[in-house]
Amino acid sequence: MSQVISLADIRRLAADFAQSGIVAAPLPTDSGKVFYQKVAAEEVQNIVLDGSLKCVNSIKEFLFPRHEVLYTFLRKGNDVELTDAPVFDTPQLILGCRPCESASLPILDPVFAWDFNDRFFQSRRAMTTVVSIACQKADSDCFCTDVGGSPENTSGADAILYPLDGDRFEVRLLTEKGKVLFAGKTTESSDVGHACEGPKATLDTAKITRWLNSHFNDPLWSELAHQCVGCGACTSVCPTCHCFDIVDEGSYQKGRRVKNWDYCQSALFTLHASGHNPRPDQGARQRQRITHKFAIYPEKFGAILCTGCGNCSRLCSAALGIKPALEKISSEAAEDLMPVPPLWVRNTQDK
Amino acid sequence: MQNQLQDLARRLLAEKKVDVVIGYGLSGNGRVGAFFATDEGQCDKLVWNEHCTQNLVVYLTRPEVKKLGRAAIVVKGCDARALVVLANEGQLQREEVIAIGMVCAGVVDEGGQRCAKCEICTSRAPANVDEVIGDPASVPAGPASAEERFAGGKYVKLEKLRAMPRAERFAWWKKELSRCVRCSACRQVCPLCYCKVCVADKNRPVRIETSATPSANFAWNILRAFHLAGRCVGCGACTAACPAGIDLDLLNLTLAQTAETEFGAVSGTVPGALPLIGSFSQEDKEDFIQ
Ligand code: SF4
Ligand code: SF4
Ligand code: SF4
Ligand code: SF4
Repeated sequence: MSQVISLADIRRLAADFAQSGIVAAPLPTDSGKVFYQKVAAEEVQNIVLDGSLKCVNSIKEFLFPRHEVLYTFLRKGNDVELTDAPVFDTPQLILGCRPCESASLPILDPVFAWDFNDRFFQSRRAMTTVVSIACQKADSDCFCTDVGGSPENTSGADAILYPLDGDRFEVRLLTEKGKVLFAGKTTESSDVGHACEGPKATLDTAKITRWLNSHFNDPLWSELAHQCVGCGACTSVCPTCHCFDIVDEGSYQKGRRVKNWDYCQSALFTLHASGHNPRPDQGARQRQRITHKFAIYPEKFGAILCTGCGNCSRLCSAALGIKPALEKISSEAAEDLMPVPPLWVRNTQDK
Repeated sequence: MQNQLQDLARRLLAEKKVDVVIGYGLSGNGRVGAFFATDEGQCDKLVWNEHCTQNLVVYLTRPEVKKLGRAAIVVKGCDARALVVLANEGQLQREEVIAIGMVCAGVVDEGGQRCAKCEICTSRAPANVDEVIGDPASVPAGPASAEERFAGGKYVKLEKLRAMPRAERFAWWKKELSRCVRCSACRQVCPLCYCKVCVADKNRPVRIETSATPSANFAWNILRAFHLAGRCVGCGACTAACPAGIDLDLLNLTLAQTAETEFGAVSGTVPGALPLIGSFSQEDKEDFIQ
């Protein structure tokens, strides 16, 4: 027996949720591109629940906002009064995201709970229910199956929708949060939904990791350096990119400390106050993004920092993004089976 | 045309006229983007089709690319105009670059839709280039007047926006710009945003906050539009790159339209022209300048 819900009922559920919480779902902009956006109760009709849709942005914005106030400060004579930003405590529903979006959340959890418990991320995570939709069509930028995902990957989701005919969805409830959300809203049925066949896996990520660990200096990096213009668009739509910058804003008397997205593809990212930049060119920046995702993060947190969503490649004006770069590495790695030196050796080489 | 382009590229590299041909190539995922041919053997990878949307002129001022040496660059008519602006503004020695102009029937965006800029294009047969590939007579000249271009039902989005009452237009921009994530992709892909240190990156003191708040987003986007007033060639690179899906072309084209209708200035069409914003004329109608 499966649980089934109609599109109209999902919209109703979203409208109800939006009364006292935040609903984030695919919504078209005026130019027709679809983005995960905050949806007001009266806008639920416009939510696009489509298993073939690829939103331009990622859901990370709702757990790791592009701009967030950490605390405010106020100078009073010789004293400074600090006020913490309130803890996020609004129920939040992410509705209709792709499985490669929800899968980013468990990957991100450890980095926000490692040497420091980031209450900003963690509180949002705790307050959020994620309902994904099983993919009905992969495109040429998708490669979830290369990095352990699939068109019906349930990782990070509390419930997953499978489109059925007649504007109905099969709902598979995955967690307590998912069960609470849909309690009393579904009907029993014998209809079962399906996901599409995933993109054909072609990359050997273990080989890529080995290659990255032994090719800090390689002509490939300068090849990528020419093509990439350092726009950072790839990092902003990436569900797993999570770098931020902390800056103070306001005046000497009164202001706030804020956390803003930062982009490793920008020259400013590592620029020192002295003027020295340890990542002096775009090649070093590309190497950083790819190595972070396929070597450093797996070594430190046990997961590849990429869900194969393809957002970066879909947007990149230079037809780059991560997949074409991985393919190049892959073809080089095929001929190159150098053993990986231990970490302490790697830390001292290439100096 | 693709074969002709490849032949020309081979010849330029073989005769050592250039060290690199900056053109378009096919990426692993089937998309078309910049390709750098540095020897003859790579020239068969150069492609030309309606997916050659990227404006490659941006690469001419990238330090990583400059290191490759003397360049030939594949340009469409609209891109070639950016080349003229760069030369006019002293950013490159025009004679040091070989511009290969492609006669262009229009390009499509990421979603396969024909780009709006191509509807109002008057530079399908590229001007001010060193080599022309394709038959200039094979493409229409495009709308003859500014009137026809900007108000002839061709750039629908722009016309719709300009027809809005002021307050409504302001509200529309507020909504659109609220999505900006302050990544600066628009700046990075723009061939005319070449400043070594952008005013938006200055932090001693901060001129524009890096926070993606409504006020800072407004400040950033309006500032960039002002810096491009009378300069933007309408290539659409910023709109294509924007991860927030903001129609930045509408902002820049509004100013381009004003530049054309008020001052008769069409950016990148006159080699040697003084920049509109950086020059004045006795005929200017404002008295304060006289
Ligand atoms: S890979 Fe593409 S999207 Fe990413 S910074 Fe480079 S040019 Fe921009
Ligand atoms: S690197 Fe690209 S494919 Fe991987 S998670 Fe980020 S946006 Fe998706
Ligand atoms: S604007 Fe003109 S030259 Fe540029 S791509 Fe379109 S048709 Fe070609
Ligand atoms: S590219 Fe778009 S999101 Fe990025 S800074 Fe420019 S307007 Fe903002």
